[in-house]
Parts: sequence; structure tokens; C-alpha cells
Amino acid sequence: MRAILAEGAEPESTPPTPRGFALARTYAFALVPLIGVLELGAHEVQIHSVVPDADWDAARVAVEAEWKPGDLVVFEPFWADSIGRLHFGAKLAGIPDEARPDDTRFPRAFEVSIRGAHDPELADWTKTATRKVGAITMTTLANPMPVHVIDDLVDHASPSGMAVTRADNGGESDCRWTHGATTAGGLGAGPATPGDRFVCAGGAFVGVSLIHDLTDRPRRCYFAPTVGRGGVVRVRFTDVAFGSALHGHVGLANFNERDRTGPNVTLTWRANDRILGKITHVDGDGWKGYELSTSDLTGQRGDLVAEIASPGGGLQFCFEADTR
Amino acid sequence: MSEEVRRPWWRAAVDLPETIGWRDHVIGALIGCAYVAWLLSTARSLGFARDEGFYFHAATTYARWFELLASSPHDALKRASVDAIWSENHEHPALMKSLFALSWMFLHQKAHVFADASTAFRFPGMVMMGLAQWVTYLFGARAYSRRAGAMAAVLLGLMPRVFYNAHLACFDVPIMAMWTWCMYLYWRSQTQGGIWWAILAGIAYGLTLETKEAAWYLLVPIVPHALFVQFRAVVGKRGAARFALPGALLGMVTLGPLVWYALWPWMWNDTLPRLQEWFAFHLNHVYYNMEFLHETYFSAPSPRGYMPVMILATVPTVTLVLFAVGLVGRGKVHYGRLRAWSRDAAEGAEASVVSLDRGEVDLLSLLVFGAALGPWLLPRTPIFGGTKHWFTAYPFLCLFAGYAFDRVATALRGALRDARGWAEGSHNTILAQGALVACVVAAPLAETAHSHPFGLSSYVALVGGTAGGADLGLNRQFWGFTTQSLEPYFEAKAPRGASVYYQDTASSSWQQMIEEKRIRPDLRGAGSPDADIAIVHLERHMLEVEYNEWSVFGTDIPDYVLTHDGVPIIDVFRRKR
Repeated sequence: MRAILAEGAEPESTPPTPRGFALARTYAFALVPLIGVLELGAHEVQIHSVVPDADWDAARVAVEAEWKPGDLVVFEPFWADSIGRLHFGAKLAGIPDEARPDDTRFPRAFEVSIRGAHDPELADWTKTATRKVGAITMTTLANPMPVHVIDDLVDHASPSGMAVTRADNGGESDCRWTHGATTAGGLGAGPATPGDRFVCAGGAFVGVSLIHDLTDRPRRCYFAPTVGRGGVVRVRFTDVAFGSALHGHVGLANFNERDRTGPNVTLTWRANDRILGKITHVDGDGWKGYELSTSDLTGQRGDLVAEIASPGGGLQFCFEADTR
Repeated sequence: MSEEVRRPWWRAAVDLPETIGWRDHVIGALIGCAYVAWLLSTARSLGFARDEGFYFHAATTYARWFELLASSPHDALKRASVDAIWSENHEHPALMKSLFALSWMFLHQKAHVFADASTAFRFPGMVMMGLAQWVTYLFGARAYSRRAGAMAAVLLGLMPRVFYNAHLACFDVPIMAMWTWCMYLYWRSQTQGGIWWAILAGIAYGLTLETKEAAWYLLVPIVPHALFVQFRAVVGKRGAARFALPGALLGMVTLGPLVWYALWPWMWNDTLPRLQEWFAFHLNHVYYNMEFLHETYFSAPSPRGYMPVMILATVPTVTLVLFAVGLVGRGKVHYGRLRAWSRDAAEGAEASVVSLDRGEVDLLSLLVFGAALGPWLLPRTPIFGGTKHWFTAYPFLCLFAGYAFDRVATALRGALRDARGWAEGSHNTILAQGALVACVVAAPLAETAHSHPFGLSSYVALVGGTAGGADLGLNRQFWGFTTQSLEPYFEAKAPRGASVYYQDTASSSWQQMIEEKRIRPDLRGAGSPDADIAIVHLERHMLEVEYNEWSVFGTDIPDYVLTHDGVPIIDVFRRKR
């Protein structure tokens, strides 16, 4: 670019150089308009490369033809998720799957992808088929270690499936089951307050809601704000079918956890009056998984108790578990 | 091969004298006016940012004071009147909001020039953008060449983020304009001398202080620049010259605060405590969120890569390439000056090169970069608001780009003359120069025009456009301005009288859209997702609201997804009846 850069320089004023080099210097200025034209071309290609609705609909038809209950459908990249949901509908991309605790329970997944994106959580799965529908790539993946969920505790959310009490210094009181409309506030108001929930005296409650976790994913779980001051919320799941393990997660709502300054929350699991395990959630842990052995209970049915305690009150704590 | 030089008949009419003069003001003003016309033609399709709602309200409040001032000046100047009116939104100086108010009073309410009140509110900001281009042209024309100035002014307008912000009744483009004007007057004072330039610079600085707090930084580049120019003058004359205080700087530090004080009624009473409160507010400014590379930052430390990456991702690439070429080109010029100066000094001769640029415009530009961009490289500087906070650097970036364009055009002319024998001024040369302009301007123009009305969602082709920005995890929008783009959906799908949760849009902005029938007037704004229709502006941290809407509506399937280039901007959930 020297010919361009030299103040007042004209090509003829430059000293003699080999012909090729001189030519390159003389025409180096052409790089600038060339870059302009390339940028314009790239822009035009980009704005005309939007995946058409017809491709999304065709992808849905293709997936639906193979989909079976229990299969997972994911959309990649994550920013395209709402377009995927819009076209695939609740049967293929409903809340339980979108707000899944993790991928371990799914034997098979359909990854519906644009722009070459892939779900990193499915990186270890076995690719069994790939096909393209227009600009959309559909990859069928098999879980190398599928597990069988025996009892998903989130499905117990009713008076017949569980009971809730709140224990404070003054004693333990039952929390009443209420049925109503789910309500939510705006940004920073915390997870939606479920319409169907156990309401305790003093403001605590337990019910299934969705939290926005630290990785910005939705998680469907029991929303159980902590009561603090030594208080404990006790959830008794009744008639649980046990397997060899209790597998679950704990977390706080993103808004509540992201500053990493809050107190710990402890979830204690008990069965048959013995402690299966204590999971401590430290601010910043995010959506934290755990697995406790229940091998001695395999094949039995019985009650399972979760106790939530924290020195801090009002923490937007959420937990879920299943037996497997 | 050679072509007879025939001057086209019209050349005589457009040939300009060598000296920069009034005709150049006309050129600069024409560029600015054309841009303001473009802004006006697109204003109605751009929704209101959250801040605008607050400033609309403040402007209508201030308008009451102006009416009182006209009808009963004595009452208007009483403390009770001043404090009652000017306490609103007193965290920002009054100039722009006063102009919003006056524009609304005269151009909307009285003269009905603008049918929309919002356009009247926004008009002063648009004019400021025109002013920025006008001054940029003059700056470039005087510092380098008319061609450099014209290209600089045009490229300044062809940045998607600048285009978006230039529509708004906010302060970011006005501070860019005032900062550039102030710098220009200071520079003219340095090159011309004389008390009038110093007085003008002082008044301009007062107006800049009255525009936005960023004016505090303006002295950061000016003080060392003024010192350098004085030092160089003394060294150049080998001690024959006395060190003199630069008049412009003197004018700025004396007249500036006076103008600032005179134009901000809130500061007329309890000045010291209010000044302290004002400083405290900005020194302890609340952090806003910003997504960058898939991470949302809510507080300092901010990533050092934010500013450079965002410049690369939002300023058209050809503009940045021209800037880089211009920067290197000017560096070569100054390297030559330095070598000549050291040679002259060694030989005991009078340093001849010092008079080449008395105003040291390149040094001034570099210092402006330091002041405007430097803070964003410090880890303690939080990200709030994104690219608009360093707009003050862009006119100077464009000056280098304009200079480079001038060199490219000169090189093209030389190549055509040597290769084809086409003389300067011939039809073919003019056509070739026109093609060069088109090649340079086409991509910035296309990117800027296409970005509307999603200016903050758009990214340049270098990073893959809007979808590329989403892939990179860059912020998709801010302050809920995209709600208005849902109007076709509301028209088609919203039940009559439906309540709409407008999420991140300010209630005053929503109300303004209703009043101006930008969205259906029967729709009722709602403050929570418990509404007939709920929207979520898709910023990453807003997903909390999205998931709450899933809970409230009992479904994760949106009724509609507003997209730009295939990238979701707003999800809409509708209650099925």
C-alpha cells in the first residue's frame, strides 16, 4: 500500500523497482474498493441466507415421522430455540423436554441445527443418522448410556403425591395445598409462583416452576424459597418407587445467584429415617447435579423426604430428583 | 490511448476555490441535511427506546417552564418554579431536553410541522447528527482535502449503530456532534489564533458540558495537545518564542462552566450540593447488563476485548480498512517530519517542518481516541450502553478514513493516467472515481439501510451479519425499542382491548406509541406477564422473563417470533381464549 500511503505520492514518483513489484504498488489501492465490494457481497449473501419457514416445517414433518415418546428434540444454536419451538410445537418441544434437568434420561435425541451448530451436551452421543432439509441439518443421536427413570418426583406435585411442612423454632406446621393461577413479575422478580403449590404459614411455599439457571437454560423443578433463621421446609414424597439411585439437581434462579454473594442452601434427603445424603449448594454452583445411592431400597416403595435449609431467607431455591 | 482533456461544461459551476470557505459550509450542510431527511423518513418505523420515554416526559415538563418564562418571566425565575420543573431528570444536563421541549412546542404543537410529537422530540438529535457530519466535513476539508472531508462525513453516517442512535431523543449522538464541533473550534483557534476563536471554543465547550457528562473528558485530549503545540512552537523557534497560554483552552475553562451554569436552571439553586449529587450519581452509576461473547456482564470488571471487538463487529469493514490505511499514511507523514526535523536540528538549521500543520490535527485525533476509547480498556470501567459511549471517537476515525480515501482516489487517478492515458477531469476518470466512491460506500450504505429498525441487533458482514452476531453471543438489543415492530402481529392477532405485557419497553414509551397510533390504540399496557399477550425482548438475561411466561401461559410455544435476518428479536405468547 506504499503508493497509497505516501503523502502526495504519484506512482511515477516512486523509485525504479522490479516490474511485478511496481505493478503491485501501483494497483495496491484497488484493495480498498475490492474489500468494499467483498463486504457488500457478503452482506447480500447473509441477508438472503435466512432459513425459510418452509424448511423448519419440513424438518418438523421429518422428525415427527420418527419421533417416539421419550425422544428429545433440541434446536441449535441455542438462539434459534424459539423458532424451533414455534414450528415444532408442544408435542415435540414441550416444557418438560425444553426445561429438562439433563439429557441422561433420553435414549435418543434429534438435533435440529442451522449454521453448523451442535449441542455440546450431546457431543458424546452416537450419531446414527444425518439428513438435510433445506438449510436445516437433522442429526439423530443415540444415548450411549441411557437410564430408565422409575419415578420422577416432579410428577408428585399434588396432595396425593407429597406433603409439605415448615419447621421453625416454634414447631412444625403443615403447608396447605392451594390451586390457582400461576403468577409472575417482570425482570428480577424471580421465578413464577406456581398456581398449584403448598403454601406454608409465614410465606414459604413449594410448587413446580421454572427457573432461569446460571447458564440461561430453563429448569423445571420444585421452587421452594428458603425460610432462613434455622427454619426448614420439609417435603415428604409418598409412595416413591425406588431404584438403585436418586438422581437430581439443585439450583438458584440466575438473578439470585449470579452475584455469588449469597449463603449456602442445603438439601438433605432421607428415607426410612436415615440420611441418604446432603447436597450443599454454594452460590455460583449453578444447576448442580448429584446422585445418591439407594441400592438397598431397589424395588421397594416408600416415602422420601427432602429438607431445605439455609441461613438466608427468600433464596429462590429449586430442586428436582428422580429414582432410577 | 490518450484522451483529449475536455472539461465538462458543468465543471466550471462546481469548481471550488482552493481556500476552504462558505461554499464548504454549504457542502457540509447539504450532507447533514440529506442525512437528517433520511432520518426523518425512517423515524416513524423505529420504536421508542426506554430512555426516550423518560426524556419525552422531561421535555414536556420543561416546556411548561418555557411557556411560563414567556408569559411571566418573573414567576418562571422564582426558585419554586425552577426547582419544581427542573428537578425532573436532573441527573442529566438540560440542553438537549430543552431543545426537545422547544421543538415539541414549536414544530409539533404550534406549527404542526411534525404530525408525531415524538418526531418533534427527536428532531434536535437528528439535527445534531447533521451538525456532526457538517463539522466532520469541514474538519477533513481543512485538515486534508475536500474529498477526505466529504468521505469522512458520509462514512460517519453510514454506521448502523450511529444511524440507529441518530434517530433518538437521547444524548449520545448530540455529544458526538458537540464534542467534534468543540474540537474543531479548538483546532481552528490553534491554527488561526485570535480571541474570537477562543471565545467560540469556550461557548462551544459550555454547550458540550450542557449536552452530556462525557464532556468532562474533552479536556483530556485538549490539554496535552495544547501543551505540545506550544512546546513545539517554542522548540521550533529555538527559544525565540515565549510560552503562551492557548486562548481556546483558556476560553473553555472560563466560559465553558459559565455557559453550562447559565443554561441549566436546576443548578441555579443550592449549586454546590446539587453539583456534588450530580457527580456522585455519575461516579457511582448503576451498572447495566451487556452480553458479550455468550456471557452477560452485570458489573465491572468488563472484558478488555469488548470495545475493539464491538468496533470490528459494528463499524463497516471497509471504513475500518480505510481508517487503518489512513492511520498508517499519516504515521508515515509524521515519521518523515520527524526525520526532517532531527536532520535540521543536527545541522543547526531552523526546523522547517514544524509549520506543516500548526494545529497538529493528527495528534489531536489520536488523543481523542485515547480519551474516547481508553476508558473502555480499563478493567474497572463497567459496560453500560455499549457502542454509543465511544461515538465521540468515530468522527476522528472517519477523518483518517477520509484521508485514506483521498490517497486511494489519487492513486487511481495516477494509475489511469499511466495505464490508459486518461487525463484528470476526463469523463472516464470521473466515471472511474465515481465507481470508486460506489465501491467504498455501497457496503456501509447497504448495511446501514438494512439494519433499520433493528440497529442494535445488526452486525456487519465481517462477523456474519445479524446471525453472526448471535452466533458470537453479542448483545441483540437494548431498552425494549423493538416492540413497535410487532405492530403487524398486533393488528392481525391481538383481540380487541387485549392487555399486552410490554416487558422492557418503558411505560412512557408504550404510551407514546399508543398516542401516535404506532400500535393499536385499543391495546392496554400491562406491567406483568399476567396479560392476554406477553412479549419478551430476547436479551440473554431476559430469558428469566421468557421462562416465567412459559409458566404463566402454560406453554413454551410462542404465538409469534419477531426476527431480523432469521434471528429472534421478540417472542410473543398469547392467551388462547
